[in-house]
Amino acid sequence: MSERNQELYDAIIRGDRKTVQAEVEKAIADKRPVVDLMNGSMIPAMREIGARFARNEAYVPEMLIAARAMQTGLNLIEPLLAEAGHEPRARVCLGTVKGDLHDIGKNLVGMMLKGAGFAVDDLGVDCDVAKFEAGVGRGANAVLCSALLTTTMPYMKTVVEHFKGQGVKVIIGGAPVTQKYAEEIGADGYGADANAAVSAVETVLGLV
Amino acid sequence: MNATKTADPFRLRPPWSGTLTARERFVRQMRHQPVDRCFNMEFGYWNENFQTWPMFRDHGIRSNEEADVALGFDPFPAVWPLWIHPGFPEGVVEDRGATRIVRNRDGLLAEVPRDGHDTIPHFVGSSIVTPEDWAEVKAERFRRDDPARRVDVAALKARHPDDRDYPLHVHCGSMIGKVRDLLTFEGLTYATADYPDMVEDMVETMCVLIEDFLDQVLPAVRFDGASGWEDICFRSGPLITLGFFRQVVVPRYRRIGAKLRAHGVDLWYTDCDGDVRPLIPGFLEAGINTLFPFEVSCSGHPGEVLRRYGPDLRILGGVDKHALIAGPEAIRAYLESVAPLVEAGGFIPFCDHRCPPDVAQENYLYYLDLKHCMFG
Repeated sequence: MSERNQELYDAIIRGDRKTVQAEVEKAIADKRPVVDLMNGSMIPAMREIGARFARNEAYVPEMLIAARAMQTGLNLIEPLLAEAGHEPRARVCLGTVKGDLHDIGKNLVGMMLKGAGFAVDDLGVDCDVAKFEAGVGRGANAVLCSALLTTTMPYMKTVVEHFKGQGVKVIIGGAPVTQKYAEEIGADGYGADANAAVSAVETVLGLV
Repeated sequence: MNATKTADPFRLRPPWSGTLTARERFVRQMRHQPVDRCFNMEFGYWNENFQTWPMFRDHGIRSNEEADVALGFDPFPAVWPLWIHPGFPEGVVEDRGATRIVRNRDGLLAEVPRDGHDTIPHFVGSSIVTPEDWAEVKAERFRRDDPARRVDVAALKARHPDDRDYPLHVHCGSMIGKVRDLLTFEGLTYATADYPDMVEDMVETMCVLIEDFLDQVLPAVRFDGASGWEDICFRSGPLITLGFFRQVVVPRYRRIGAKLRAHGVDLWYTDCDGDVRPLIPGFLEAGINTLFPFEVSCSGHPGEVLRRYGPDLRILGGVDKHALIAGPEAIRAYLESVAPLVEAGGFIPFCDHRCPPDVAQENYLYYLDLKHCMFG
């Protein structure tokens, strides 16, 4: 990794979005390939923050400010990636299930997925099957369902049953959700947290 | 027990019998000393339980306070300080059809279901984003010289005499949880990165107001313990960085702890949901020695944590709500798993948060019966 990429990498990890912006703008001005910027510095930085999270060396706030810094850089390079015909690793849609308006966890999962190179279709909160279906219609290979409450969690079963046999993978997560519950309702994957959700998507889509 | 009507509609169950007063029992149990029976308390219920559980609905029991009396729990009151004053004007600011945007007393905008069903608020905006916003709110709503912050000590003493028979806690507010309530979780996270001095000043303001309150009440009333509220953890750990917690929050706890200890108050619990384990060393260092309500699905079995930290740490709560949802077999297995902790002291078992409405009333009554049978 070059020194300049190391600065970008470090800035993302410490959540320093001003440095991220400056580094990415400089790289663009220098006509450096933005794909290298993303694959060489940005995605590895988010992977590292995820690894620290998994080791209990970082918690949700560190992930959130890192993801915000990453997003600052992504906003600058996304048009250039599209121009260069760069394809994301896969497309996913995610939403908080029907009856539930909470989105902190869902938003963080979305940011971590973007930071891992996925195209993310954020369907918002209070999502019924039709909203998830629309996301799949726009090209999502996987559906991610979030819930904060034990009272809204059962709707995940409805989503899982809806997509059964359609070749669409359904991954679930949220505060009351467990691996056991995911198995009980026949979900394809389970993410205990935002970092684990990225791994679950990679696993069910065969990207690891 | 059948939830049939009784002569006293507010007395569904008698208090557990005992030879000690509730005050003696609580203090002795928290100090790992022998007691006549376990202190009997519960955290409470979601609002929906009061509408759906027949024992509440059919007896006109509408609040946690009424339920505590009806179910015969030991009294567990606290004296509270004034926080934001005056609060922000509350009300509906936008109608979005199925949901409404409402402003609460803390100035936060929350999206709530229009049908009013019980849920955890979904906050969508804050009245404080920049240091300028905070300066304005501080000057208007967190004034140390606000006459409303003067405690009527004589009335307090009269209400809670030294020879009372129930434990009394002095509430030490919140150093960071209420700051989060002013900013939203994301707002606090970003402000900690973007305006660290502002966030530290907010924490300092919370601390100073609590110190002012304690200076008034501690010399006047003999408290049995201190309480607090933070709610600063998710299932995956703290929602503030550990660095910020140690550098900014813990020193303020330490100042408050020193005041408490100077007046003989050495039992201090704080209410914090989620996985609290990363915060325990900081809590203990500052004098917060009791966890409440200790959510099992996030922090693990209470026995593991109590074994790790020994008698310096206590737990109030720690009964897995998922066992109550699952039914009698799971309830019995869970209560048996905490029986040695009750026996050892420093642990008072109750549902590890407000009991949710997806716990069936019959499961809950089975749980109360079994708790009485095992620990009463």
